[in-house]
Amino acid sequence: MPRPATTRIVAWLWFFATLAVLAVGFRQAIFIAPTEATMGNVQRIFYYHVPSAMMGLVFPYVNFIASLAYLYWRRRDPLKALTADALALASAEVTIVFVSIGLMTGMLWARASWGIWWTWDARLTTYLLLWLLYVSYLLLRRFSSTGESHTLAAVISVFAAVDVPIVFMSIQWWRTQHPSPVFADGGSLDPSMWPAFLWNLAGWAMWGTLIMLFRFALERRRQLAEQEAALVAIEASLETHQ
Amino acid sequence: MNYLGHVLNHLRKDLRIEWRSRDSINGMLFFALLVVVVFSLAFDPTAAVSRQISGGILWVALLFATVTALNQSWTREQSHQVLEAQRMAPAPASALFLGKAIANMLFVLVVEAVLAPVFIVFYNLHVIGNPWLLALILPLGTWALVVNGTFFAVLGLRTRNRELLLPLLLLPISLPALLEMVQATTGVLTAELDPLQINTWIVQLAGYDLIFTLICLLLFDTVLNAE
Amino acid sequence: MTWQSLFNLSTMEHRHLLFAYIAVWAVQIGYLGWVAWGWSRTKGTRR
Repeated sequence: MPRPATTRIVAWLWFFATLAVLAVGFRQAIFIAPTEATMGNVQRIFYYHVPSAMMGLVFPYVNFIASLAYLYWRRRDPLKALTADALALASAEVTIVFVSIGLMTGMLWARASWGIWWTWDARLTTYLLLWLLYVSYLLLRRFSSTGESHTLAAVISVFAAVDVPIVFMSIQWWRTQHPSPVFADGGSLDPSMWPAFLWNLAGWAMWGTLIMLFRFALERRRQLAEQEAALVAIEASLETHQ
Repeated sequence: MNYLGHVLNHLRKDLRIEWRSRDSINGMLFFALLVVVVFSLAFDPTAAVSRQISGGILWVALLFATVTALNQSWTREQSHQVLEAQRMAPAPASALFLGKAIANMLFVLVVEAVLAPVFIVFYNLHVIGNPWLLALILPLGTWALVVNGTFFAVLGLRTRNRELLLPLLLLPISLPALLEMVQATTGVLTAELDPLQINTWIVQLAGYDLIFTLICLLLFDTVLNAE
Repeated sequence: MTWQSLFNLSTMEHRHLLFAYIAVWAVQIGYLGWVAWGWSRTKGTRR
């Protein structure tokens, strides 16, 4: 376990590095990348939309694995379980951040490019569903009593992990019978656009990791503060007995 | 006593208690009826249109009715500390869940049986496709809603805002099943889908039922011992 | 594109591009700020 000062230094370095990468990415996306032939400048939303959408699909896995770890360690090693739970909560919140951004930027781009805000195709519907499921996850944590909220949330995480692929497959099958507009990705990316895309992908991945670990650290801090408070209360009650 | 025996015991208990007051079934029935009437006023469909939309309306009505019934399906267990007793009993907890789910299933099937003629009357419904397929689709679809609904009802039992949490969790999770059951039902009613497509929907629905029944049975113990 | 054309709000395309980028930053900074605010409110424990 590195000393807190080291962690702090690394965190700040990572933060500034991320900002630098994102600044380069912004410059690449807005000023350097060529204007797309058919869609025009609005296509530049792509450089923020796609990395965010991709990160929105990575963090649910972190949440799922952390939830499984929590369920596994719940009875065997409660302290490890609590850490896993903190990671699950952090990754769930970050998932919602990125998926919300993916949805918003996607809608703004679609409206400007293709004239419609939304379409119920397999990808978008599954993405919306992911958002709904994780909002439910957070609400369940908020509404349930502290003792059991960790376990219940972990159970929901399992349900969500099973449900999302099923939703995707069922709607894709449906759309083979009843086609609806599909927002195309534009197929393969022109080589001159790769730098902008890659810089932004790296930048948002670094940012996502940073805020997830920051949130994780905050949750751990809260957990430890709670344990501390509980310990103090117990010691106080022991003293009054004498 | 083996597993099936436990399940049947729980089932018998629930059926007997429900039969005495018939609260749940009456509530569900009336609610579903209201939904049917409201949708008729909202859409005022012609015969052709009503065939297109009545599949969706049927399942929406059943979904709402099921949610209202499920919200209070565990209250008896909660007020009599049955769940605590179950934790101390050697009988498997999932048997309690399965018995309760099957009981809820039977209640909703009764509601469907009463609702079917109502639909036929109010929407002037005339099934063009093979009506016997409906006898397969309706139970499969109902089980998808009931099994997850019963599970989430117990999940939210000790939470604040329990009535909000159940539909909040149930609707997103049930989305693929709802799509499958509505598409299958509409396919049968309108005969616009050929049998292969309808069968694929039915198979998908059956697969959904299987997967989520398994998950609910495996995780019920965890939820029961959540503290 | 130039800085001038970025802030040109005449067409829907330009507006949406600007809104999208602003929205992304607003959400991300907002969340970071919220976590940082929580951090400042939680007492660090003796290690």
